[in-house]
Amino acid sequence: MSKGKVPHQLMVLSVIAVAVIAGFFVMRAYLTPKSFGKYGHYRADAIDDVRNLPVSYAGVNVCASCHEEVFQKKAKGFHRGVTCEVCHGPAAAHAEDNSIKPEAPRQRGGCPLCHNYNPARPTGFPQIITAEHNPGKPCMTCHNPHDPVPPTTPEDCGVCHRSIAAQKLVSKHSSVECTTCHQVPKQHFVNPRLNRVGKPTNNEACGNCHGSDVKTQPQVPKVETAKHAGRYLCWECHYPHSPENTP
Amino acid sequence: MEPTLVLALLEPFNGYIYPNEYFLQWELLIVLYPYLTGLVAGAFILASLERVFHVKALLPVYRLALLSALAFLIAAPLPLMAHLGHPERALEMLVTPHTASAMAMFGFVYAWYLLVVLLLEIWFDYRADIVNLSNSKTGLMKYVYKILTLGATDLSPEALQFDEKAGRLITIIGIPSAFMLHGYVGFIFGSIKANPWWSSVLMPIVFLFSAIVSGMAAVLLIYMVASWARWKPIDMACVNKLAEFLLYAMLVDFTLEILDFIHRLYESEESIHILSQLISDRLFISLIISQVLIGGLLPLFGILVGRYGKFPDEMRKMFYFLVGILIQVGIFSMRWNVVIGGQMFSKSLRGLTTYKVHLMGIEGLLVSIGFLILPLAVLFVLLRLLPPWLNEKSEEKAIPVA
Ligand code: HEC
Ligand code: HEC
Ligand code: HEC
Ligand code: HEC
Ligand code: HEC
Ligand code: HEC
Ligand code: HEC
Ligand code: HEC
Repeated sequence: MSKGKVPHQLMVLSVIAVAVIAGFFVMRAYLTPKSFGKYGHYRADAIDDVRNLPVSYAGVNVCASCHEEVFQKKAKGFHRGVTCEVCHGPAAAHAEDNSIKPEAPRQRGGCPLCHNYNPARPTGFPQIITAEHNPGKPCMTCHNPHDPVPPTTPEDCGVCHRSIAAQKLVSKHSSVECTTCHQVPKQHFVNPRLNRVGKPTNNEACGNCHGSDVKTQPQVPKVETAKHAGRYLCWECHYPHSPENTP
Repeated sequence: MEPTLVLALLEPFNGYIYPNEYFLQWELLIVLYPYLTGLVAGAFILASLERVFHVKALLPVYRLALLSALAFLIAAPLPLMAHLGHPERALEMLVTPHTASAMAMFGFVYAWYLLVVLLLEIWFDYRADIVNLSNSKTGLMKYVYKILTLGATDLSPEALQFDEKAGRLITIIGIPSAFMLHGYVGFIFGSIKANPWWSSVLMPIVFLFSAIVSGMAAVLLIYMVASWARWKPIDMACVNKLAEFLLYAMLVDFTLEILDFIHRLYESEESIHILSQLISDRLFISLIISQVLIGGLLPLFGILVGRYGKFPDEMRKMFYFLVGILIQVGIFSMRWNVVIGGQMFSKSLRGLTTYKVHLMGIEGLLVSIGFLILPLAVLFVLLRLLPPWLNEKSEEKAIPVA
């Protein structure tokens, strides 16, 4: 190799580099879907692909046209917001051809998908601990799936407010009954959404026990309510169901 | 009250979590990825110490470090692809890249780093050896080496000098590339603003320095094991120097992590309560014990004592070896704590969930162990193909007339 000449390595590598880059663009031209970028940064044909997928759900209105009775019953019950095919699975094929039977969750496994205890569920949502709630028997033996009502009225707030009850149980407030702070109408146990429970509205609810001017057991810590809370509500700082969780 | 309520408290989560936080979407495979890329970046930076900054003592590990970086780099994206479930779709990101996507752009950084930095640097460094091998070997291997020469068989002094210059230039380009390679991983986590455990500008830098630490320690381990396997003496000057750099890198890394920690404490955002619960409860073992104590302070102390204490060389080697292993434990835990820890608390900042590693399944322990062994297997093949110790015999050739 003489001075001034392009080194051999560089030439070899340049050829390879050009080949790789060209290869990339060829591959790209070949692999980029035809309709890519027509509407946006995606393959426009994807929309048609999705539209052409076979329909597997018929929708509740179709079911109602034949199963009027079940539909009416469910529409009045607690499961009115749960549509048929959530439990029975996609049933478009059944609606076309009745000899194809849709599934029905007759075993214990189906219902707990929604009703098993999970603290992330909204308060008041009916929840059970499946392993302990009448084990062994399918849910249908006691609850009609289309119109589920508990055969007996629950007696304990924790049946429906499990997370709050569990938290309070291990807190300093474990000895304080729920009804000390909440006025609960009897009907709340039967039809909770229509019979609202009262929540404390002013600091007296707490001051009745914690005020420095009241006589309660000595172990209840006392504060000068007005001075301690200022213009705030006590529960803006203390979570009433677990008061030791103070910021 | 009913005893069932107490049982409810023993559920795998506590407090309030959103329904979609029950299962972790990023599991063990995603922990592996930053760990493996970290080893790449660290090993490469180590190699560049010798090449660019002329730390001559590190010459015995120079080539080894490059080959290790290559082996880990080849294996690094595989856990991600496996996690995708549809590995072939990873390619689509490169074919129709979106410039606003850090992940898509990173595909090119990866390609750049693999093709332009690592492969080229190794090729330039080995070219003379490859040409010699293609002449001396027989049978199939002869042709393998012939192909590897890419036809550039010129061994004139000018050509060799050009190899040397080109290699140096590539290393200089390679250092920022290695920074980007691993900084990117931290960048991805650091820019998730909804997650207070991740969202931090320090994240890329912390990732980078922990990468350097783990990569250096890995090369140290590989060098010692390779020397033992070859019945060759370990070059004490080299491992001592390595230990020194390791110590510096660890100090910087540790300082950065402490800085991050203090900064969070001082800022004391609304997430601080749940994060301190996360640390004291869910991550106690993997963060306090495994990352900070066993994988952080203990090796830091070990390397201080091992390097500057008055010991016979045999003892020193044992120190280094143990420190190397502890560092791997520590850095792996750090990746774990970032990836898994960031998903264990609810975005409502009111609850914690748990994560259990499964044995089987694509995200399971066995597959992950496989992905950890794979780069070592790749390295074994590379070491067979391109033995780094070729220049042991002809020491002068390897030290260039710079
Ligand atoms: C065209 C009328 C028609 C429509 C529409 C229809 N069904 Fe049916 N379905 C029937 C008939 C008829 C039977 C009774 C078949 C039998 O007993 O042999 C039946 C039976 C059933 C059964 C009982 C299966 C069993 O195991 O006993 C279920 C559950 C059911 N339908 C659900 C649905 C749902 C859900 C939909 C809406 C997606 C639906 N059906 C729509 C006609 C209809
Ligand atoms: C909460 C889950 C659930 C929902 C929602 C539900 N079903 Fe059912 N369904 C069941 C179960 C469980 C059975 C089996 C009952 C049995 O075997 O006694 C059943 C049985 C049936 C049957 C056959 C026996 C009967 O009672 O006639 C029909 C028909 C039926 N469902 C239709 C419907 C339709 C139509 C809807 C929507 C309007 C609907 N179901 C919604 C759970 C559900
Ligand atoms: C897709 C989710 C879902 C499934 C599956 C489901 N449910 Fe429900 N269930 C609900 C909803 C929603 C309510 C109404 C809650 C409310 O009103 O706050 C409810 C209410 C109830 C109630 C409470 C009525 C009351 O007094 O508060 C019972 C009992 C019940 N379901 C039983 C069952 C049984 C038995 C099954 C299985 C056949 C079942 N559920 C399956 C969603 C579901
Ligand atoms: C042996 C009869 C029986 C069986 C079987 C049974 N339950 Fe119940 N269930 C009851 C009674 C009684 C109540 C009333 C509440 C209480 O006191 O626990 C109730 C209450 C409930 C509630 C709470 C209602 C509310 O208003 O909060 C839900 C939800 C519920 N059951 C779901 C289920 C599910 C899901 C299954 C199947 C896994 C099931 N049940 C099986 C008898 C039964
Ligand atoms: C049958 C189930 C059930 C039982 C038993 C029950 N609740 Fe409720 N509770 C509900 C439901 C459902 C709601 C949600 C109402 C809504 O938000 O629409 C609710 C809401 C509440 C609220 C909040 C009201 C608001 O406006 O936010 C309080 C407080 C309450 N319940 C207290 C209690 C107490 C105290 C008890 C026991 C003495 C009790 N509940 C027993 C189902 C129940
Ligand atoms: C020390 C008084 C006190 C006791 C005891 C108490 N609560 Fe409350 N609760 C409150 C106050 C105050 C609020 C209002 C909090 C707010 O608005 O932020 C409240 C709110 C609620 C709410 C609605 C808001 C929420 O936090 O989800 C429910 C449901 C509720 N309580 C249920 C219960 C149940 C069930 C019990 C018994 C297990 C109970 N409470 C015991 C004081 C109390
Ligand atoms: C029926 C009386 C009663 C009422 C009403 C009551 N508490 Fe309490 N509170 C107690 C008792 C009893 C304790 C526990 C004392 C102990 O054993 O340490 C307590 C403890 C506390 C503590 C101290 C927790 C700790 O860390 O030691 C706080 C804070 C508190 N309550 C806040 C409240 C608030 C806020 C309210 C109003 C929503 C309230 N309490 C209403 C009886 C009451
Ligand atoms: C602005 C926030 C805030 C408000 C509002 C507030 N507290 Fe407190 N409270 C605190 C803090 C913070 C502490 C802990 C202070 C400490 O430990 O010195 C505390 C402590 C307490 C304690 C425990 C004292 C002890 O000796 O352990 C009680 C009881 C208490 N508060 C009751 C109340 C009551 C009753 C109200 C309403 C009248 C209320 N608090 C309102 C912030 C608040």
